[in-house]
Amino acid sequence: MAKFEELIKASLLACTMLSVLVTGLIVLSVFSETLRFFSHVPLADFFFGTEWSPQTAMRTDQAGSSGTFGAVPIFMGTFLVTLIAMAVAAPLGLYAAIFLSVYASAGFRAWAKPVLEILAGVPSVVYGYFAVITLAPILRAGGDMIGLSIASESALTAGTVMGIMITPYVMSLSEDVISSVPKSLSFGSLAIGATQSETIKKVILPAALPGIVSALLLGVSRGVGETMVVVMAAGLAANLTLNPLESVTTATVQIVTLLVGDHEFDSDKTLAAFALGFSLFFMTLLLNIAALIIVKRYREQYD
Amino acid sequence: MIKLFERRTRIAMHRVKRKKSPFIYKSYSKKPKHRWLRKRNAQERRFKRTGFIAILIAFLFLASLVWNIFSNGYSAFTETQIQLPVTFEAELIEKDAYRTIIQNSLLELFPGIEDRKEKRDLFSLVSRNAPHILKDIIEENPEAIDRKAMVWIPASSAISIFYKQHVHEQAKRSGKISPSQVAWVTDLARTKNMRLKFNWAFFKNGDSREAEQAGVLASTMGSFMTILICVLMAFPLGVATAIYLEEFARKSWFTDFIEININNLAAVPSIIFGLLGLSIYLNIFGLPRSSSLVGGMVLALLILPVIVIATRNALQAVPPSIRYAAAALGATPTQVVFHHTLIYALPGIMTGVILSIARAFGETAPLLMIGMVAFIADVPKTFTDPATTLPVQVYLWANNPELGFVEKTAAAIMVLLTFMVLINLLAIYIRRRFEIKW
Repeated sequence: MAKFEELIKASLLACTMLSVLVTGLIVLSVFSETLRFFSHVPLADFFFGTEWSPQTAMRTDQAGSSGTFGAVPIFMGTFLVTLIAMAVAAPLGLYAAIFLSVYASAGFRAWAKPVLEILAGVPSVVYGYFAVITLAPILRAGGDMIGLSIASESALTAGTVMGIMITPYVMSLSEDVISSVPKSLSFGSLAIGATQSETIKKVILPAALPGIVSALLLGVSRGVGETMVVVMAAGLAANLTLNPLESVTTATVQIVTLLVGDHEFDSDKTLAAFALGFSLFFMTLLLNIAALIIVKRYREQYD
Repeated sequence: MIKLFERRTRIAMHRVKRKKSPFIYKSYSKKPKHRWLRKRNAQERRFKRTGFIAILIAFLFLASLVWNIFSNGYSAFTETQIQLPVTFEAELIEKDAYRTIIQNSLLELFPGIEDRKEKRDLFSLVSRNAPHILKDIIEENPEAIDRKAMVWIPASSAISIFYKQHVHEQAKRSGKISPSQVAWVTDLARTKNMRLKFNWAFFKNGDSREAEQAGVLASTMGSFMTILICVLMAFPLGVATAIYLEEFARKSWFTDFIEININNLAAVPSIIFGLLGLSIYLNIFGLPRSSSLVGGMVLALLILPVIVIATRNALQAVPPSIRYAAAALGATPTQVVFHHTLIYALPGIMTGVILSIARAFGETAPLLMIGMVAFIADVPKTFTDPATTLPVQVYLWANNPELGFVEKTAAAIMVLLTFMVLINLLAIYIRRRFEIKW
C-alpha cells in the first residue's frame, strides 16, 4: 500500500517535472537560435540598426546578398501600434470598468458584463478580418473626406482594432481592482459630501492605482504579443515612422513572414525571426514582472 | 436610459438613509441653488455619461462586428444553380469528355454564339466542377446514358455573387462579368432556370481554388483532430502538475520557482509557442510538418499553464474539512485526494479545461509557424497528414483576393463562432449544473 502511495506521488512529481522541463525548453530553444543569430549578426547592428531588409539574394555574389537586420523600425512599429491600441483600450476599458462597478445597477451589470466579455472570447483572426474588410475602408474614406491620405494597411487601423480587442481584458482586470477597494473608503468620502465622481477620482482611483497600472501593463504585453490582427491589418514594409497614417510593421508580423513557407533552417533570415521572438518574449516577460511587482509593492493594505 | 441609471443609483445610495429621514433624499434631488454646487453636479453627470458612452462604444463595436460578419457571410450558405438541358451522349461519356457535354448543353440553351471570347464567357457561367457532377450522376445511374435530362449545375462564383446581389436588389455590377453574361443570367432568371439552394457543398468539401466549391469540412476535422491531441497531452499533464503542487508539494524555493514559471508561461505571446514547435518538434524531433499531431502538441503547451492554474483554483476551493474528514476515517493521502478532493473539484476543473479548449480552438498564430497554412482539399485521415484548422482557413480565405472568398471567409467565421459559443455554453452548463458552493 505504502509503495503504491509512493508510486502515485512519484508519477505526479514526474508530470510536474515534465511541465517545468517544457517551459525550460521554450526559453532554451528560442534562446539558442537567437545566440546562433547573433554569432552571424553583431548585437549592435540588430538593436541599433535602422535598416531592415532580411531578403537574401539568390546568388551569393550579388550585391547586398547578406541582408541587413536593423530591428529599430520593427520595434518602433510595434511600439506605435501598441500605443494606438492602448490609447483606445485604456480610456474605454477604465471608464467602462468604473461605470460597471460604481454606477450601473445590478440588473444592468448582470447582462452587460457577459456581453462585453464576448469580445474577449472572439478569436483574433476574426478581428483581423474585421480590420481588413470593414475598418480599413471606413478609415480610408474618412481620411479622403478631410484630405488625409491613409495607407490601406495603416498603423491606425491595426492599432484601433487591437485596442478594441484588449478593452474587455483591461476592463475586467481594472473592475476587479476597483471593486476590491474597501467600501468604507468611498462611504467616508460620500459622507463628507463629495459627489460620486469626486469620490472615484480622489479616493477610489488613487487607492486602486497600482492595480490599474498593472492592468494596463498586462494590456500592453498583450498588444505587443498579438499576432493575427497585425499580420492581417498592418503592413510588411519596415518604415521608421511615428505617423499613425502610414504603414508600419511589427515584430510578430516579421516573425510570421520570415517563417511561413519552406525555408532552410540555417539562414540568417530564419534565425532573425528567432531573435525577434526572443526579444518579444523578453519584453512581455519584463512587462508581466513589472505588473506583478507594482501590485505587490504599492498595494495599500486595508483592514 | 442614463436618467434611469442616475435615479437608480441615487436611490441605492440613499436607500439606507431614506428609511429614517425622507428629507435627505428630497433635498438631494432638488436642483441646487448654489453655482459651485451646480458646477460639481454637472461634473458628476458628465463623468457618468462618459462611462456610459464607453460601454456604449464597446456594445456598438460588438454589434457592428456581428452585423458585418452576418451580412457578409449569410449568402455563402446558399448556392446558385443553373438548370441545363443535358444530353448524356454515350460517345462523349466513353471519352470522359464531360466538359464537352456541359458546353454542348450551354450552346443548346443559347444558340448562335460563334465568337471565341463569347463562348468562353458562356462556358464560365457554370462552376468548373460541373463535369465532376455529371460524372457522379452517370456513375450513380448508368441508365441515364443516351438520354436527355434537366440537371441543376452550380454556377461559377462570379455569376453566383452577381445573381445573389441581383436577387437582393443591390444590383452592384461587378467588373468581373461581361455584358453578355449579364444578359444570359437575366434570361435564365426570367425563365426560372436559376435558383438558390442550401449550400451543402460548404459543409461537405474541403478547400478549393474555386470559391463556389470551397468548404469547411477539412479544416473543421483538422481542428477537431488538433484539439484531440492537445487535450490528450495537456489535460493529464496539467491536472497532475496542479495536484502535486497543491496537495503534495512542500513549500520550498523549488515550488515557488515552478509557480512563477507557470504563471509567466500563461502570459507568453502565443506566437512564441509556434517558434518552440518549429525548433523542437520539427527540427529536433523531425515530426511531420503541417500535421495535426504537431499542431496539437503546440497548442497543448499553450493551454497547459491555463489548465494548471484553473485546476489549482478548483482544488483550493474545496474546504479543508473534507480532507480532514477523509483522513480521520483512515484514508491515505492519495486516497484523500483522488477519492474526495479531486471529485469535488472536478466541475471547476472541467470548466477551466473547456474554456482553455475554446482558446486553443480559436488560436491561429502558432499554427502558422509549424506550416498548418496549407491548401487542404481532403479531410486528413491520420494525425500525421497535412491538416489545417478552422481559424487558419479563415486566415487563408481572408488573404485570397478573389471576390467569391469574401462571403466564404465570413461564413467560415460564423461556423467558427458557432463552435466557440457551443464550447462556452457547455462550460456554463457544467458550472451551473455541477458546481458546489461551499
